[in-house]
Amino acid sequence: MDNETKSISFKGTAEGLVILIPKEMETGAVMTQVAEKVRAAEKFFRGAKLNVIYRGKKLTGDEEQELIRAMTENSSVTIEGIRYEETPKPVEREKSANISGMPIRRIFFKELEEGPCKFVRGTIRSGTRILYEGNVVVIGDANPGSEIVASGNIVVFGALRGMVHAGADGNRDAIIAALKLAPTQLRIGDIITRCPDTSEEIEFLPEIALVKDGIIYVEPL
Amino acid sequence: MGEVIVITSGKGGVGKTTTTANLGTGLALKEKKVVLIDADIGLRNLDLVMGLENRIVYDLVNVVEGTCRIKQALIKDKRFEGLFLLPAAQTRDKNAVSPEQMIRLCDDLKEEFDYILVDCPAGIEQGFKNAIAGADRAVVVTTPEVSAVRDADRVIGILEANEIRKSMLLINRVRPDMVKKGDMMSIEDIIDILAIDLIGVVPDDENIIISTNRGEPAVAEAKSLAGQAYRNITRRLMGEDVPLINLAGNDSFLSKMKKLLGFKSA
Repeated sequence: MDNETKSISFKGTAEGLVILIPKEMETGAVMTQVAEKVRAAEKFFRGAKLNVIYRGKKLTGDEEQELIRAMTENSSVTIEGIRYEETPKPVEREKSANISGMPIRRIFFKELEEGPCKFVRGTIRSGTRILYEGNVVVIGDANPGSEIVASGNIVVFGALRGMVHAGADGNRDAIIAALKLAPTQLRIGDIITRCPDTSEEIEFLPEIALVKDGIIYVEPL
Repeated sequence: MGEVIVITSGKGGVGKTTTTANLGTGLALKEKKVVLIDADIGLRNLDLVMGLENRIVYDLVNVVEGTCRIKQALIKDKRFEGLFLLPAAQTRDKNAVSPEQMIRLCDDLKEEFDYILVDCPAGIEQGFKNAIAGADRAVVVTTPEVSAVRDADRVIGILEANEIRKSMLLINRVRPDMVKKGDMMSIEDIIDILAIDLIGVVPDDENIIISTNRGEPAVAEAKSLAGQAYRNITRRLMGEDVPLINLAGNDSFLSKMKKLLGFKSA
């Protein structure tokens, strides 16, 4: 940051040469620095035709001409035009969604058929969190208050009552299967759903959750 | 060599202290040498429930800090032979004791006593860590409420992570009539979630409140149903095989059918 505020920098763009001039820099210093820089990169400027765009310190018309002179006198560059441009505000990059502690990525985990897999034996209790880049198989129950987040599929060989997120980095093809599928919340890729509020658990049958047309469906296995 | 058993729950107000007092008294009635440690520093009340408040001179913090000898801090319960209480400090907080100090204390007490029962504070912070540090086994107390069961689940997970695998479940304050109507979680539901061995079920009994306020553990009262439950739990704690008291009576055929079909009985 310090360097930027104290010295001039050049940036080549499609529109032309962008010169970043620190706002508080004195005009004299600007000219000497420009001259120095151009002299140093004389080979680069030789015979070039350039548009100059400068940002930061606003120069007067005379000063602009002086700047052009500083450049042309120190190299064989031809300046076709000069204009001032507001320093563009830094573009706020959209933060990738991160609903379960694993950011959704454009390039996500695809090894659903075959790939890294974590086996967990025993009951996953409230407050426990399993985060894994790959498929997860739990041999035991996942209790309410627990969280399983995997970039691949999640299979629970027992009762699934906690929160689960399969394809957590954005893969909607991931599946969740359990001998008893009753999660507090079920997430696949970027889709979140929850179980319907049924008062009584009627059946105990293995089910699978998967995404079809952007909706999570739960079907018997 | 004695055994250290921590009585814990995660959630507050489920009956840890009452359980500690009753199991301790029960074990003493079985002619065991027992010491009860109140690990709830700053919020002590095991001494109240035991009716020994006015006899406290030294406490747990004094012992670990070396201000007094263990013998000096132990309060002998004159009603029950072989029963002692190591009270908590009231004017300090949980950070006054470290897990290492608790382990050393438990090890020292093990040489003299058959059972050391540690009354754990609610929560899973420093006080909890201190209380479980020296424990060989745990009794996890819960009530048939979703919040208590959820916290018990968390606590069991932490106990397992701390290599205390012999946790046993005590379900307190069960109301068979409400369970029957489907308004309260059943014992089966709770065991299904927590997946640990059941050491016993204590029915909701107003005699417990009376005896607790008087400082006389209910386990010594022959007529109390909760006292009977605690007596059975004491025997199970000692390794005896005692069948559960039937609190609810048998499910009728109709209610079984209703349950099967998913109806909530009115």
